[in-house]
Amino acid sequence: MMYTAPVTVDEACQLLASNSAAKVFAGATDLLPQAQAGRRLEDVLVDLKRIPRLMNLEVDDQGWTIGAAASAARLAEHSQLRSEYPGLVEAVALIGSDQIQNRASLGGNLCNASPAADSGPSMVVNEARAVIVSTAGFRTIPIADLVRGPGETSLEPGEFVAEFQLDRPAARRADAYLRFTPRTEMDIAVVGAAARVAVDDAGRCTDAAVVLGAVAPTTVRVGGIAEELVGSTFDEEALARCAALSSEACRPIDDKRGTKEFRRHIAGVLTTRVLRLAAERASEQR
Amino acid sequence: MTVGDNRTRIDAHGKVTGEADYPADLPAEGALHGKVVFSGQAHARMVAMDTSAALADPEVVAVFTAADVPVNEYGLTMFDQPVLVGLNATGIADVASDVSRWEADQIAFVVAESAEAAERGAAALEVEWEQLPAVADIDHALRDEVRVHPESGDSNAYYTYRIRKGDMEAGWAEADVIVEDTYVVPHQEHAYLQPEAGIGYIDSEGRITVKVAGQWTYEELGQILHALDLTEDKVRVVYTAIGGAFGGREDMSVQIVLALAAWKLSQQGETRPIHTVWSREESVVGHHKRHRGRIHAKWGATKDGRITAVESVGYLDAGAYNYTTNKVLGNMHLTVGGAYEIPNAHIDSHGVYTNTVPGGAFRGFGAPQGAFVAESQMNKLAEKLGIDPVELRLRNTLQEGSIGITQVELPAGVSMPEVIAGCRDRSEWGTRPAQVSDLKVFESLPSATDRTRTGRGFACSYKNVGFSFGFPERCDARVEMYGDDEIERVVLHHGGADVGQGAHTAFLQMLAEAAGVDIERVEGVFSDTGSSGDSGSASASRLSWMAGNSILGASEEAAKAWLDGDRPAVGEFRFVPPATETLDPDTGVGQPNFAYGYVAEAVDLAVDIDTGHISIGSVVCSTDVGRAINPTLIEGQVEGAVVQAHGYAISENLQVVDGHILNPRFSGYLIPGILDIPDEVDSHILEIPDPRGPFGVRGMAEMPFIPYAAAVVAALHDATGVWFNEFPLTPSRVLAGLQAAGFSAAG
Repeated sequence: MMYTAPVTVDEACQLLASNSAAKVFAGATDLLPQAQAGRRLEDVLVDLKRIPRLMNLEVDDQGWTIGAAASAARLAEHSQLRSEYPGLVEAVALIGSDQIQNRASLGGNLCNASPAADSGPSMVVNEARAVIVSTAGFRTIPIADLVRGPGETSLEPGEFVAEFQLDRPAARRADAYLRFTPRTEMDIAVVGAAARVAVDDAGRCTDAAVVLGAVAPTTVRVGGIAEELVGSTFDEEALARCAALSSEACRPIDDKRGTKEFRRHIAGVLTTRVLRLAAERASEQR
Repeated sequence: MTVGDNRTRIDAHGKVTGEADYPADLPAEGALHGKVVFSGQAHARMVAMDTSAALADPEVVAVFTAADVPVNEYGLTMFDQPVLVGLNATGIADVASDVSRWEADQIAFVVAESAEAAERGAAALEVEWEQLPAVADIDHALRDEVRVHPESGDSNAYYTYRIRKGDMEAGWAEADVIVEDTYVVPHQEHAYLQPEAGIGYIDSEGRITVKVAGQWTYEELGQILHALDLTEDKVRVVYTAIGGAFGGREDMSVQIVLALAAWKLSQQGETRPIHTVWSREESVVGHHKRHRGRIHAKWGATKDGRITAVESVGYLDAGAYNYTTNKVLGNMHLTVGGAYEIPNAHIDSHGVYTNTVPGGAFRGFGAPQGAFVAESQMNKLAEKLGIDPVELRLRNTLQEGSIGITQVELPAGVSMPEVIAGCRDRSEWGTRPAQVSDLKVFESLPSATDRTRTGRGFACSYKNVGFSFGFPERCDARVEMYGDDEIERVVLHHGGADVGQGAHTAFLQMLAEAAGVDIERVEGVFSDTGSSGDSGSASASRLSWMAGNSILGASEEAAKAWLDGDRPAVGEFRFVPPATETLDPDTGVGQPNFAYGYVAEAVDLAVDIDTGHISIGSVVCSTDVGRAINPTLIEGQVEGAVVQAHGYAISENLQVVDGHILNPRFSGYLIPGILDIPDEVDSHILEIPDPRGPFGVRGMAEMPFIPYAAAVVAALHDATGVWFNEFPLTPSRVLAGLQAAGFSAAG
């Protein structure tokens, strides 16, 4: 096994192109436990954290650019990111312990492709984009197209994610993320739910979306949420219908963390709570 | 006064700075590395084992198997387990050596130049098994279609206690109300910080020496001597710093194989020490658990709240081997009727072999299971009778002079009434309802106030201090006083293990007090069978009580020698408490114990009725310690026990399917985190002297664990009106219970 740490995107692309047994990593917070659990590591491990572009975190009028290897702690501490995407930052801040926060990255959390990844629902609900690179150049895809199933991404051999892009949010728009775990901290989502809500001056809903995590092989965008909520003031009945839509949209499995029925129920509970939280935030922005 | 001081622990500096050596830290330089190989088979007969591929590895030094063990059997109270499961066993064991009865039966000890090579050697073992049907649980076992130990009796239910007291028909006739239910209690993993590890070598005096972390040096010595068929002068057991135990180190893990390897290799001229360290997964799979079980209980009471009859049939899952099941079961048996005066009782308690992880010692030792049943029954009686649950307890509590469930008078110093009343007053029971505003809801998933319910719960218990049922209880101490005109230095030699509870600090405080010298002048040499006597185990909340009495005796002897002019003045003393008895097999009559501890707890709870999340606010734990030798250490024990019981009651959920543990890592076996534990634990220390305890001391380390689960269940009932007869109270279980009771899911 060889460890290598390129300092430019080009160098990393060349390494991947010339060695089919190479694998990129950032914080190694998934890689190391997998290795300890007996998984054989790839022959060449490419550390992306020495590449400045992948550690970047910047915002301009066009939007946000978040390096794929930038640490979760850095995102969580960025006050402007927190105010524009509070739900995304909540999701990122839930990954692991303080120590893990200093190592873990958005790129790693998403490309590990766990159905329970906390950042997935928030990134999808906010319509983020992934900028993918290889020796063939750059291409940009919707974040929802990045993960195909447990442990599986749409990345081709030789490709890796360089950065993520997010638009600047419109006024009176906000997101939120909630997750259910049996334990308060240091646990893995049984269900995660991200919401994005926009309201008008009167607090009436103008747009809304919910994306669930850990209830299907990939994140699930719940259909019909906007139709239920647009024009409403997030009344109990409308929220209950949204909860039912979420429960219905789940395709959960039974496993040692929870049964299908339990996950469906919790998906509904989280939907109500996360929409209410996002709506409060959006209204406060008036 | 030294007794009563909050002395800093004598081991604190070493543990905080990392200087203290735990078994995993022992010098690895030049050492060989050992790997214990588990069978991985819940129930199977070994057909063949080929070690040649492993031995062909140039870095593999040796592979020890059943054929190498002179007497291939061990067990703390019954020799029912092979040291190594395998073929060609030549020993004299009664138990068949070729059958794996549990996935962590040990089949080989691979010794190699490096830990990696030992792993390679283990992986290279070629083993062929004939599968046998695995007895997965108690129900399966009770059908007796498959026998786990065909050599033992005629049923998998191999050990039974009975109580026949009074006249049950009269008891039921007298009863105005009856409460009847079946309770299911779960496994629990000890989850100590330091997984099993140790080193084996030949010391400078030629003794096979095993340095490990355990709870009772002499017991481990005895097990090694038996298996290796050696005499006491040939073997030595020494304890390093011990990273927690809680009963989980009472049985053998690496001790015998380390001694075996050191002994056999030395005969071949190989004198390098052998070091072995278990991973967390190996630790969780490889050592026993708190027993899971099922207990049916039926209690009757008059409308003025007098218990008239208690009927109970309980089963504990012993797993594949007895370990200490027969003793744990006895303790469950004694506590399943609660700390109450019961005129009529009919109680049967059975230990049952299965092909799962053995049940064994764990803080509380059967009392948590018994108390969960008894206190749940009591709280249900209180509800049915419309009597306050604390008042109901006071009307029935054991008190000084009470005849206990085994039809003999309890040892003097029964403080249950004072402890119940103490907890009632301290918690302002009955005057202060639990308020949502006082309770945090589940922190990472906030709930709305209208979806939160709150409640308070109460439970109490008692448990023995010291070994029970006629076991020859004793404790040795040796005290040496140095100086000329005045005592300049006092040295204690003692075998009592400091498993992290602070026992050695308390020992030295008691010694300084007894010898009348400043604490700076006392020191200790501990836990080495080469220099200390047999002190019994660090278990049964017994060490302060037993060691204190032995230290008082040895100090008195040394003081006499000092007056006689001896320099150094040496005092040796073996303390022997009042004898206990085995219970009559048919009626349960007898005096099982010589001392008890008493405890009561009040708990404030909030539950999110949409998610099933439980949060605990305040816990008031009133515990009678007799005399607090070191109050800070006692608070540590109370808080630690409550946190450990919190995991037992709410989150820890060991999943054992067909004899295999599915969640042997802490990512899946959820011990509480700092944000999960109760907001506040009020350690309410009562000091009502035990007439036989040193300085009045009572044992206390287990007590705060015992009533917690029942108190939480009572608080959950107070909050929701729903009783839970099974735990852990995971969100999914709580939610299912609430939904079954008609709680609707508000989205």
